[in-house]
This record gives sequence, structure tokens and C-alpha cells, in this order.
Amino acid sequence: MPESHCRLLHLLLAVAMLSLSSVAPAATTIIGSKAFTESVILGELATQLTEEAGFDAEHRRQLGGTRVLWSALIRGDIQCYPEYTGTLRTEIFSSENIGDDVELRRALAREKIWTSTSLGFNNTYVLGMRRDRAAELGITRMSQLADHPTLRFGFSNEFMERADGWPGIRTHYRLPQRDVRGLSHDLAYRGLESRSLDLTDLYSTDAEIVHYDLTTLVDDARFFPVYDAIILCRDDVPEAIRESLNRLGGRIDEMTMTKLNARAALDREPEAQIAASFLRDRMHVSAEAKVQSRSARIWQRTREHLAMVGISLGLAVLVAVPLGIVAFYRRGVGRVVFTIADILQTLPALALLVFLIPWLGIGYAPAIVALFLYSVLPILRNTHTGLADIPRDLRESAEALGLPRIARLRYVELPLAARSMLAGVRTAAVINVGTATLGALIGAGGYGQPILTGIRLDDTNLILEGAVPAALLALLVQWVFGWIERRWVAAK
Amino acid sequence: MLMSCAIAFEHVTHRYPHAVAVDDVSLRVEPGETVALIGPSGCGKSTLLKLAAGLVWPQQGTVFVTDRALAPDNLLEIRHRIGYVIQSGGLFPHMSAVDNVTLAARFLKRDRQWIADRVAELAELVQLPRDALERFPNNLSGGQRQRVSLMRALMLDPAVLLLDEPLGALDPMVRHGLQEDLRRLFQRLRKSVLLVTHDMAEAAFFSQHIVLMREGQVVQRGSYRDLIDAPAEQFVSDFVKAQRGLHAEALDA
Repeated sequence: MPESHCRLLHLLLAVAMLSLSSVAPAATTIIGSKAFTESVILGELATQLTEEAGFDAEHRRQLGGTRVLWSALIRGDIQCYPEYTGTLRTEIFSSENIGDDVELRRALAREKIWTSTSLGFNNTYVLGMRRDRAAELGITRMSQLADHPTLRFGFSNEFMERADGWPGIRTHYRLPQRDVRGLSHDLAYRGLESRSLDLTDLYSTDAEIVHYDLTTLVDDARFFPVYDAIILCRDDVPEAIRESLNRLGGRIDEMTMTKLNARAALDREPEAQIAASFLRDRMHVSAEAKVQSRSARIWQRTREHLAMVGISLGLAVLVAVPLGIVAFYRRGVGRVVFTIADILQTLPALALLVFLIPWLGIGYAPAIVALFLYSVLPILRNTHTGLADIPRDLRESAEALGLPRIARLRYVELPLAARSMLAGVRTAAVINVGTATLGALIGAGGYGQPILTGIRLDDTNLILEGAVPAALLALLVQWVFGWIERRWVAAK
Repeated sequence: MLMSCAIAFEHVTHRYPHAVAVDDVSLRVEPGETVALIGPSGCGKSTLLKLAAGLVWPQQGTVFVTDRALAPDNLLEIRHRIGYVIQSGGLFPHMSAVDNVTLAARFLKRDRQWIADRVAELAELVQLPRDALERFPNNLSGGQRQRVSLMRALMLDPAVLLLDEPLGALDPMVRHGLQEDLRRLFQRLRKSVLLVTHDMAEAAFFSQHIVLMREGQVVQRGSYRDLIDAPAEQFVSDFVKAQRGLHAEALDA
């Protein structure tokens, strides 16, 4: 019986090690992109140009918002990503009141960041409404919004917080609306279409503006700055790569970008393919669109997902089981430990992930730490409960045999608590399989990747490509733990 | 300590947070003697047994086992000289009967052949069928469980046996058979036995030395005859009468 614990532990460790081996970093240039279609296309262009310059490149797509990308760039988790000048001015250097592009370039250089020349288009924010709704209310300019306090606004989450987003607009235009909610940019179109929203923030190059027949409001009090698209790189990125990226300068005008966006968002063409054909047709660069086969894609995500779940769970077992034992024998320690674990459990997963980025960057590390923290409580609690539920009779019988405490723990108490402990590990594992889908938000990949992309592109098949394996994995985990329980822990 | 004894309580008091379980009790069990502790539930008899096994500690007084005062630093050693059997058997459900019996001996790294011989010897002593040894506690009958529990208690050949209602959970037929076996066994092994029971007939069956307790104190020590012929106080007569009640009424009818 005691051996079964070791075996279980070995199993978990083996899974963790196996997964780790697939995570080893390579000396490649890592290009990041934000979580919307245009950024992913630009990231793909940058990736293919880097490869074309003779370097290994990897595209970590749709990592999240500006804050995540910027801190990942500063930390060196990524080497380059596409950005917009207006965003840098209002979000990153908001306290410095930066004027022209020369000043911006200087401010970036201070942070050891290089910037490409403008790619050729200004993707500014605009506010959009359904054409019929706007006509009905007679709204064409942003200043007129103040006359309609009951309009329902839905803004992308980042826009809700940005100085050049809703907080700025509200003051600048003195807007009275109270029904204002944050949501994913790509869902906002569907909100407009279904009439559950009246107005949302759009990017001026969004293909959906035409597709959904939206009208954009004139920024008559000149609130939005200019958002020229550029590519940022750390200044330690090789000269050759930077030169290659600079070839994009001035090559993409607004119409071109809108069309590229339309191909991805409306025609469901893979971004890699769009980028490759653009480079081929417009720049005579023979770029290769690396489109993985579906099975290769799923296998890779399975490995990523297993890595996150396996490592975090293994670590949690190693930490939470001893902690649960100590918490049981030392009541004072127990109270402190449980208070901390309870608080950790209440942190929203998304918030926790973002908190961790400044320390751990993006990718596996913060994802694993977050999942680890979520796994601790169920294992801790069930270890404690398992020990506490051992009948007093049995506890005293073991004592009366003259076994020292460690031996009692090993031969009697832990085996008797094993069922409960295993149930805790099982709970943690199932929770982890689900929560790990959020890892895609911070570049850890996994089954969340196609789900995110699917939401962005309104592509149900893609969402299912992530959701179905995740559900199957959860079932598999249930089944494996059920088997372990029957095989090794069943009450005799 | 004037002379050698198996178990001795000297002015021992044990309080639970809201009640006194054992109140200034002094009591001796001589080597080879069987003493039966009896009294109504809550009188402190089980607590007295746990004090002897070091499972609870007295707030006042001292407990001696085989002439040594129980203390945290000699506790494990002294427990190897004690066999402890409780009403439920206290067998570990995740181990086979034989693993239960040999756990302590294996932990102490006793010779494997010695262990095997000892198990065979004990199985014969308590009359446990050999095939029962491989079974898990849930697959044993109540009587078999207590026999296995007794084997476990006897494994290291202890000087002292502490038995807390060992037969209390058995049905009358099984119980009667086991009583006979146990008495023969005690006489043969010459162990010092402290036996807790709530049944006067059982106490009288096992021992000439019955200790009647009430509310944490010893009311009277003596043989069954003594308790009937020379009760120390009214409670003794009431207790004896209550115990006899149903039998007597049934016989009188």
C-alpha cells in the first residue's frame, strides 16, 4: 500500500518531465502579436520576413493586450511585435506627453527598443453603430452621443481601460451613458448585429465595418490620436532582421490592410497564408506559409496542454501533500496555510495570470505557476480531511503498537487517507485541464489557442478543435484517476 | 515503588476539558494477575486503560508499566511491552490480517523466520484458521477479527495486556466461545491483564480481582463474592443487582 503512493508520484513526475522536454527554448526570434486579427497578420508578416532573412522565427500569436506584449518585449520573452504609435503615446509613455515621431523614437531608444518606419496605414479607433440605428437616431458625429444617454455601449476590454479609450472619450465629449460594458473586440460585432449593443469601438481597418454595414462616427472634437502601424523590436535583434522588417515600411495602405483583414476575418483564410501571398505578390518575397496539418496542430497543443497540467499538478502534489500533513498535526500552521490557500483560490484566473507576467514573463512559467496555485487547495484540503477522518480507534491502535509518528504516518495514516488525497489530486487535475485553456492568453499555447482564434474569427469549428480535446482530456483524467483508485486505493 | 508490579497508577488524575475522567486513582496490577475494571459508562475505566498505554497523559500522578514510569522518551519502548486490544478490533483495513499482526515486528526489523514462526504459534494459540490470515479485516467475522487483534497484541510477547471490552461487539454465542478461549490463554501465558468490561458476569468469569469504578474513582476492589457480601457502599449493591436483574427475574419467573 505505501508503495502505491510512490508509484503515483512517479507517474505524475514522469508526465511532468515528459512534458518539460517539449518546452525547451530554442535560439529563435520570437515575434508576438496582440489578440486581434490585424495584429496576427502583421505578426505573421514579420515572422516570415525574419525567416526570409535567414533566421529561425516563431510567431506567438494573440498573446493579449498592449501591456502583456510590451512587458514581454521589455523582458525579452519576445523580440518583436506590431504596435501603433498612438498606443505607445497614450498607453506606454502617457506621462511624458510625447510630440512627434522623432521624440517617440527617442523615448523607445531609451527603453532599448527599435522601431520600424510606418507600415503605411493609420489604424485609428472609430466608434461604430449599425447604419439603420444611427440613421434612426440621426447620429453622425461623436458629439451627438451626449444627447442619447440611454444608448448601450460595448467596448473591447482594453478600450475600457485605456487613456485613449472610453475614459478619455467620456471626459472629452462629456458623455452621460451608464450602460457601458467591456467585451472581446470580436464579439462586439455580433453584439451590434443582434442589437444587444448600440455602439462599439472599431479599428478603422476592420473588415467587418463593411461586412456588417456599420456607420462610423466622425471624431468631430478630435479626440483620437494617429495610430500609425509599426513593428517594434528589441535593439539587440540582429541588424539583418531589422532591415528585412523595414522593407514593410510604406507598403501597406489602409485599403490594403482592410482587405487583408477581410480575408482572415470573413473568408477564414489562415493568417500565415495571407501574409505569404502578400509578400509574394506585393514584395516579390518568396515566403513560406507554414500551415500545420490539423493532426500536427492538435498533437502540438496536446503536448502543450499536458505540459501545463502535468507540471503544475506534479509540483502541487509535492507541495500540498506535505503541507496538508503539517497542517493536520500543527493546528496553528494549518490555519495560516488554509487562509492563504483559500485566498489564492478566490483570485480570478485571468487576473492571476496577468499579475504574474511582470515577474515571470509570458509563456509556460506564469501559466504553470497559476495552475499550480489553483491545484494546491484541493489537494491540501483533501490531504487534511483524509487524515482527520481516520477513526480515532485506528489512530490509537497504531500508537499503541509502539510505532513512531513517521512510521504511523507512512504505514497507517497516509494509506488510510490515500483515497481522499487522490480525490483531491483528481479534482485539481480536472480543474487544471479546464483552466489551462486560459494559458493561450499568455503564450503558453494548449487547447485554448484554437478556442481563442475561433472566438476571434467567429469560427465554430476552430473553437471545437480546442474544446473537444479539452473535454476529452478531462474525461481521460477522470478515467485514469478512477483506474488508479480501483487498482491501488480500493478499500479492501 | 516498593515492589515490582506490572501496572501501577499512583494518584492519577485525568481531566477532559469539561469533565474529570479519572480522579486521583491508585491501583496496582501484579505480574501474572488479571484485573477486571467495571463500572457504568463514563466512569473512567477506558480512560484508565488509555493512561496505561500512554494514549492520554495524566495531569497529576504517575503511571508505571513494568516498574517504569511512563514518560515521552521511553513511551515507544514501553509500548512494545504492552498489547492493546479494543472493542472494534482496531485492525487496519488496508492490510491483510497477517500484515496487521506483523506490522510492528517488521518495523522493528525482526528476523523473517522468527516472524513466520511467531505468527504460526499465535494462530494456533488463538485458534485462527490459517486461511484467515491472508484475508483483509472486512472479510473476517467479528470473532476472527478479535482473534487477529489479539495476535497483533501478543506478537512482541508483551508483559502486559490492556483489553478494552474486547468481546463487547460480538454476538452472545461467539462471545461465549471466545471467553473460554481467552481465560485459558491468560492462564497459560501468565500475562498481566487489565480488562475493561461493563458486564459483571464477564468480569467475574475472568478474574478474582474486580475493580468497580464510578465517576472517575475506584469504589471497591475485590472478588465478585466480596462485592456481593461486603459492598463498600449502596452503589455497589445497586450495580451488582442491576447487572443480575434480567437473569434473576427470568429465573424467578
